[in-house]
Amino acid sequence: MLILESVDAHYGKSHVLHGVSIEVRAGEVVGLLGRNGVGKTTTLKAIMGMARRTGGRITFEGRDLQGVPPHGLARLGIAWVPEERRIFRLLTVLENLRTGLDRPGITPAHRDALLEKVYAYFPILKERRHQAGGTLSGGEQQMLAIARAMMLEPKIILLDEPTEGLMPRMVAQIQEIVHALHRDGVAILLVEQNVPLTLDAAGRVYIMEKGAVRHHASAVELRADPRVIHEYLGV
Amino acid sequence: MDQILVQTLHGLVNGMVLAMVASGLTLIFGIMDIVNFAHGDLLMLGAFVGASVVGVTGNYWLALLVAAVVIAILGALLQITTLRPLIGRDPLTTILATFGVSLVIQKYALWQWGPSVRRINEPVPGDFTLFHLQYPWYRIATAVLAGLIITGLWLFLKYGKYGIWIRATTQDRVMAQAMGIPVPLVYTGVFAIGSAMAAASGVLFGPFAGVTQTMGFDFTLRAFIVVVVGGMGNLAGSILASIFVSLLESYAAIVVSPAQAVIVSFVVLVLTMLFRPTGLFVPTPK
Ligand SMILES: Nc1ncnc2c1ncn2[C@@H]1O[C@H](COP(=O)(O)OP(=O)(O)OP(=O)(O)O)[C@@H](O)[C@H]1O
Ligand SMILES: [Mg+2]
Repeated sequence: MLILESVDAHYGKSHVLHGVSIEVRAGEVVGLLGRNGVGKTTTLKAIMGMARRTGGRITFEGRDLQGVPPHGLARLGIAWVPEERRIFRLLTVLENLRTGLDRPGITPAHRDALLEKVYAYFPILKERRHQAGGTLSGGEQQMLAIARAMMLEPKIILLDEPTEGLMPRMVAQIQEIVHALHRDGVAILLVEQNVPLTLDAAGRVYIMEKGAVRHHASAVELRADPRVIHEYLGV
Repeated sequence: MDQILVQTLHGLVNGMVLAMVASGLTLIFGIMDIVNFAHGDLLMLGAFVGASVVGVTGNYWLALLVAAVVIAILGALLQITTLRPLIGRDPLTTILATFGVSLVIQKYALWQWGPSVRRINEPVPGDFTLFHLQYPWYRIATAVLAGLIITGLWLFLKYGKYGIWIRATTQDRVMAQAMGIPVPLVYTGVFAIGSAMAAASGVLFGPFAGVTQTMGFDFTLRAFIVVVVGGMGNLAGSILASIFVSLLESYAAIVVSPAQAVIVSFVVLVLTMLFRPTGLFVPTPK
């Protein structure tokens, strides 16, 4: 469904991605592991058209993303949950959700059903729906970022380090939601530093180093043989 | 004492018109990070369009509506043709472009309507007596109408679907795009709304002092001052600052001549820049 073929990307003059090839099939959860600064976030940004792509090809359901405007990706079914969460801080929780909900062609009934579904996953967001996004705790903001992406009813979610800096209880909740999305048939490209969580949630895993994919294996293999993980991630 | 009351009323009325001009300017600044130096000229153009419609139909309220719609469309076209191609460039480039647009509009107005003052008759006749002074009802009506229009804008931004698009884009353009909000269209829309507000202000202000081809710059300057004083891009701040500065000018006019009273707003501007560059009416950012 989502295919990156030898993607190169630059920030100004610095060459960050060197021929990254990744594939995510429909409904699949794919992990992307790697140490700090290896280019995981940049890979997601390249998909979103936010990093300057200087080589290779990115296609989604056979369609080259080159000519798609930045706001057109959501319509195609690609949602992004950035590392910094990027909640609209002055918008209330509900207004944050509405940025993805107020789409052309959505019926009021469908809209309400979607909201209720997300509130069922994240009751705390319902409780705080009239509160400004900026006043939420880190974990709540992460939930809001995921919930906001879900409003688009995406085919794939690009999920960038969702558990970074969260308390264990919150991490467990995020893990649960990843499973739930998977059950719903949503594909996920999961960037993580949390290896156990990634190996639990993902079917396949890519490991990056210095801007390139160095290893690709199923989660089952990696669980059975942790040496690779140790080599590239030092854990 | 009665002089103070009269000047308070005067300041409030002027403040409401200024608030309407400034709210368009601050909305555009908040979302696009540019000061639109053609804002006052769009106001002037709106006033001329309004004066022409009044001239033909005699209907002031129709003129207000037509001016707002015509200038909104013009604003949208201006944004698409001259500002949209500059998105992502140095903001200075865009600001210079608005300056160019300002000059073009002024010269056009001079060519089209000539240098003389055009009058717009007051749509609400009659005066009321305030102490020793006859105060026109029209000015009160203007202040009320400006207040209603600003409230309408506020409600739209607060509850409307497109209002949420505008606020989200103002806060984080990249994230807004990722959520599927068509940001280029939002920019054009905001520019159109700002232009319509300017044009409506021009028609509202028209009966006060007439319409001239040079009236725009004064409004751009005054609106710019209150936008800075109120905190760039902060709508509520700009509105409060408009009223605050207009009241101060009004009071100053008791002791000095009105022409000198204008200096008060520059003093407020300079003091704000020196001591509270984020604006008088916003909480100090952490
Ligand atoms: N905006 C930027 N401008 C210039 N260089 C950047 C920028 N963003 C990231 N980089 C550099 O690009 C490289 C890859 O960064 P990236 O954020 O993709 O890494 P990452 O794998 O997501 O790391 P982390 O685990 O810390 O999030 C790093 O060396 C980083 O310093
Ligand atoms: Mg990262």
